[in-house]
Amino acid sequence: MYLAIREMRFAKGRYALIATIMVLVSFLVLFVTGLAQGLAYDNAASIKNMAATHFVLEQDSNHRFTRSQVNQDQLEQTRSVVGQENAEPLGVKMTTVSPAGDTKKIDVTLFMVNPEGWLAPTVTEGSPITDLKDGQVVVDQKLSESGVTIGTELVDQASGTKWTVGGFVENESFSHSPVVFLNEQEWLAIQEGSRTSQGTAYANAPLYSAIAVKDAGEKVDSLSTALPNTEVITKSDAVSAIPGYKEEQGSLLMMIAFLFVISAFVLAVFFYVITIQKTSQFGILKAIGTRNSYLAGSVSLQVLLLSIGSLVISVLLVQLFESILPASMPFQLSLSTLALTCVLFVVMSMAGSLFSVWKVTKIDALDAIGRTAA
Amino acid sequence: MRNRLVLQGITQTFEDGGVKRTILDKLDLKVAEGELVAVMGPSGSGKSTFLSIAGALLEPTEGQVMLDGASIMGKNKQDISDVRLQQLGFIFQSANLIPYLKVEEQLMVVAKLAGTDKNKAEKRVDELLDTVGLSHRRKAYAEKLSGGERQRVAIARALMNDPAVLLADEPTASLDAERGLDIVSMIARLVKEQGKSAVMVTHDERILPLCDRVLFLENGKLVHH
Repeated sequence: MYLAIREMRFAKGRYALIATIMVLVSFLVLFVTGLAQGLAYDNAASIKNMAATHFVLEQDSNHRFTRSQVNQDQLEQTRSVVGQENAEPLGVKMTTVSPAGDTKKIDVTLFMVNPEGWLAPTVTEGSPITDLKDGQVVVDQKLSESGVTIGTELVDQASGTKWTVGGFVENESFSHSPVVFLNEQEWLAIQEGSRTSQGTAYANAPLYSAIAVKDAGEKVDSLSTALPNTEVITKSDAVSAIPGYKEEQGSLLMMIAFLFVISAFVLAVFFYVITIQKTSQFGILKAIGTRNSYLAGSVSLQVLLLSIGSLVISVLLVQLFESILPASMPFQLSLSTLALTCVLFVVMSMAGSLFSVWKVTKIDALDAIGRTAA
Repeated sequence: MRNRLVLQGITQTFEDGGVKRTILDKLDLKVAEGELVAVMGPSGSGKSTFLSIAGALLEPTEGQVMLDGASIMGKNKQDISDVRLQQLGFIFQSANLIPYLKVEEQLMVVAKLAGTDKNKAEKRVDELLDTVGLSHRRKAYAEKLSGGERQRVAIARALMNDPAVLLADEPTASLDAERGLDIVSMIARLVKEQGKSAVMVTHDERILPLCDRVLFLENGKLVHH
């Protein structure tokens, strides 16, 4: 304590330099983490917001909603296993819409949900999803940036179907595209449209993309046996199978991991060089009776002070940044992620100092005898 | 008169390319309370080895080192550190102060390490700085001190924990003749006043008249001339 703090007081410049590097690195760690979280949420908000714990998908759909088709029978079977209340049909379809009378094209994802079911979102503006009239849908707030308001007519490019916007919801997106919620009737309408053109025989059986399951507990295992030709996946599996999600998160995660390693190494090198430079000083301290544990603690304390100090500064910086970032920038740093990142950063810093600590304990007190200069 | 430092039959050997070399050969030394002993010898005679053993920095191949009548042999690393902290005081060649500590802190840190009560330690610092005549420099860093002043701080630091034995490794090596004499006479005076046993390894013949005994390290033994 005594030595560590006095040394930092004395060699302010030297420690300020390393602290600056630490602030920059930890700021980058926090910022990229926030960005990764923000992008993750922006990408998969609708799935993440769902109360479901598992999803039943068609076999070999590679966990992707857009590739999967499940039918009414499978829904009934699922309900008989997990309970009527705990399974809901879900339709997912990516498409492009244009506001009527406009050439603008907007990529959206259509979500079919049961308006009375637990998958239905809360409407923040306009009429609740249960009150929707025929041909009405609720859409994500993001569409308002493209000039969509309540009453705007949206034309589906693929089927030519027209919907009227009846309300807005917030934070609903899938694969970075805003979500349009529609009920089963509308969903069937677009299905029929495409079916008739394909001339399929069983036009009347409703097909969904997946079955959302909640509170299934141990019944999940029996689900897969009861439903052949399906796969039962968890919510996080479903999230990471969203197109682009894994790739996006993977590259950001790699950056964060590298930043952690870099910070550990920067500290390790800095303290190693300093320790070598102070070899004779440590020798003297040992000769006059300083214990190894005291010196090791002294080095560790300096690392701890540096990393915590830099973290405090960079957390403040990140918060400042967050407040001036444009709202369209996906940035999200929850308290728990922030705390976890900070703890990890400190742990990595301490790991970086281990080498120096080891070096310090190896220095021989005999170095002090027969030396001409400190 | 009790002997606060006793070395009995100290032998130090090491292997050098398959040949056994004996640096110290059954060396005996007794230093009484208040006595300052100078140890001289050419380079390579084993002075540093002798001082390292007396200073509990190196364990001899054979023999015993006793401080205030108690052997310090066979102790673990931590206990040996504590022996150096509590019972031994070192004065090195060029003071070897810690560059980032102020004069008073150079002394304070030794008391801190020993866990001395703060008020008591502060009193002791005042007292010692007064004794070595550096009260006016107490807030200065080592780099701002002259060579003589640094060595005086080192003396005060060595006495801080009231050790039994004072060991000095060529304390005048980096000083001019006059400062050298000042420093050694200060050491001699404090050793008398505070009842320490002191051993000083030196090359400097001018300071010998200030010592109670002068011994020469020859063929691994200490001899009178």
